[in-house]
Amino acid sequence: MHKILLVIKREYLTRIKKPSFWVLTILFPILIAGLYIIPILLATKPLEKSTVLVVDDSTIFQKSFHSTENIEYRDAGSLDYAKAQLEEDNNLSAIIFIPARETQIPTDAFLYYRSDKPDVNVQSDVDRQLQEILRNNILLDVHNISAEDYALISDTKIKLHTRDLETGRDGFLEIKLAIGFILAFIIYMAIFMFGSQVMRGVMEEKTNRIVEVIVSSMHPFQLMMGKVIGIGLVGLTQFALWVVLSGIAIGGIQIANSDLFERAAEKQNISQIATKGVDATAQLEAVQNEAPLPEIIEGLASINFGLILSLFIFYFIFGYLLYATLFAGVGAVSDNETDSQQFTLPLTIPLLLTIICTVSFMNEPSGTLATWLSIIPFTSPVAMMFRIPFGVKIWQVVISAALLIIFFPLCTWVAAKIYRIGILQYGKKITWKDLGKWISSRS
Amino acid sequence: MFQAHHITKTFGNFAALDDVSISVRKGTVFGLLGPNGAGKTTLIRIINRITRPDSGELILNGHVMTDNDVLHIGYLPEERGLYKKMKVGEQALYLAQLKGLSEKEASQRLRWWFERFGIDNWWSRKVEELSKGMQQKVQFIVTVLHEPKLLIFDEPFSGFDPVNATLLKNEILRLKENGATVIFSTHNMASVEEICDDIALINKGQVALSGGVKEIRESYRKNLFHVQVKSDNTIQLPHDFIISQHGREGDLQELTIRIPKEATANDLLAQMLPQGEIKGLTEILPSMNDIFIEKVSNR
Repeated sequence: MHKILLVIKREYLTRIKKPSFWVLTILFPILIAGLYIIPILLATKPLEKSTVLVVDDSTIFQKSFHSTENIEYRDAGSLDYAKAQLEEDNNLSAIIFIPARETQIPTDAFLYYRSDKPDVNVQSDVDRQLQEILRNNILLDVHNISAEDYALISDTKIKLHTRDLETGRDGFLEIKLAIGFILAFIIYMAIFMFGSQVMRGVMEEKTNRIVEVIVSSMHPFQLMMGKVIGIGLVGLTQFALWVVLSGIAIGGIQIANSDLFERAAEKQNISQIATKGVDATAQLEAVQNEAPLPEIIEGLASINFGLILSLFIFYFIFGYLLYATLFAGVGAVSDNETDSQQFTLPLTIPLLLTIICTVSFMNEPSGTLATWLSIIPFTSPVAMMFRIPFGVKIWQVVISAALLIIFFPLCTWVAAKIYRIGILQYGKKITWKDLGKWISSRS
Repeated sequence: MFQAHHITKTFGNFAALDDVSISVRKGTVFGLLGPNGAGKTTLIRIINRITRPDSGELILNGHVMTDNDVLHIGYLPEERGLYKKMKVGEQALYLAQLKGLSEKEASQRLRWWFERFGIDNWWSRKVEELSKGMQQKVQFIVTVLHEPKLLIFDEPFSGFDPVNATLLKNEILRLKENGATVIFSTHNMASVEEICDDIALINKGQVALSGGVKEIRESYRKNLFHVQVKSDNTIQLPHDFIISQHGREGDLQELTIRIPKEATANDLLAQMLPQGEIKGLTEILPSMNDIFIEKVSNR
């Protein structure tokens, strides 16, 4: 027992001391902080003013384009004149040209832009206004409905709320989906990352030829488990640091830039009002659009993070142990990375398959496929983490957890048999047949 | 001190060891010889409890060996290495602790050995910065640090330059003087004659020859003698005394003579004495190298 602790200590400390560990530990929270702050910075960034020349030969759109906060529409007469102007004056950004119509309703319009100044904002605003003007025109001419009446009709909506039967609370399905994806992906990445670290560690010992010195002092099994546990602890340390550092980073941003948030929110309101123009309902809509933020917070609050975190730790630990011991077995039979590929494939397939299947879980988080995959030991860590935010029947969690716990010693037993023989085989290419023989051999 | 009784080990259909028995006397150096693939490394791994034999037993100091006995064994494998990215001192401490030394004890002993081998300023360097010879020294230190009663060296001289090989040889002999028992496998037959007391020659998984080095060489004697004699005349001998080599420098003649099986050195002397002044007479015993080749290629 004492020796396994020595191995764990060595595996843990040598990895914690590596600069790459700290680079990854610090990069992740920076990434999270970046994802958090960049949209806010973009929202507060003032847009450049653009001027668009309108040439309307169809006479439908004339003067109906209204300028917004950022885009000014100016009547320009003929297309040739407008083109000449656009070429001369680089403060102008584009020409919207609607040719004379051959039918009652025009079908084509053309946007000429300076090749040094393509502007997606201009394009989307022009497009929006074209459709709106055309629609209002038809409504008024053909159906005799005013723009104001139409706005009232089209903005009349009924909001569909989801309610959980048991709790009676909002379902927040989108938020749960997002959390499910994130959890499934993190556990998938973590098992892979730390599992292959175990594999590379074993391979290093084998190719360095240090392994024979070590196994003359202890059981190969102790060495293998020491390595698996040591690297697992590195993983848990990294998670803990990520959670703490990300929290600090986000908290820091919020405190340092509390006025930035206010400005961002304000800005959003103004631009929404501005783009909606003078519509009577614009104010109302702007207020409604603001709603998602508190809704997200409410949705997050409805999720049991204590349960998720404890299950995450459980599934990480046992999922990792299951795979890491097998990865150790693969490392023991491989002299180099290429050797290892034929054996890692069967290990990667169940994980990869589950992550792909999560896309289909979206429709049915408690469907047959999702349920089975969340119970089968090799796929359960990823599948179950995806399902947890939606609420999973307790017996399914219990069976899934129990199977995982039972399969861990089984995998370890198989891996240990391969490992024990594999690490002392040099220079010989090992086949599946050999593995079968080793596993079935008596110890 | 140590015995292996009737060790058998098969890998699939291949018998790596077939009923192998060896006996090592306390305080001696025991040479384990044999061609490549003869089963030496398998036997050594079995002694170190890395591999389990199919049958047979190992006796250490009169009792059947258990896992705890590995703490009293120092093993330098043929395939040996160190963690490249680890610091020399840390690594030596780690390996020493695996052999049951406390960190403090290991540290003290390591300082002593590092000084002795003149590598004390390498303590905080990474292994990958060390030359191969330096790494070999570190490996040797780690092998003997816990003062094991039984030392096992598998091809210890491979990869050593002559200076370090001599250093290693002297250290092995010093350890023997201090009471350690040494088993070592080698292809280097000259070193066998120099340092081994007993040997076992393993070929195709079986003990082909075993015993004391002196006795074995005696028993393989070819009745060859080297004689230096001062004489102006050509030496005349009976027809069954065969002169295989003959050199002459002035009146000093050097002869290599094969005498009949039943004859002795005295018979040879009796023939020679009347013919000149005998300056020297020595029996030429076969080298371990010759015995090795004869034994291995005969089978």
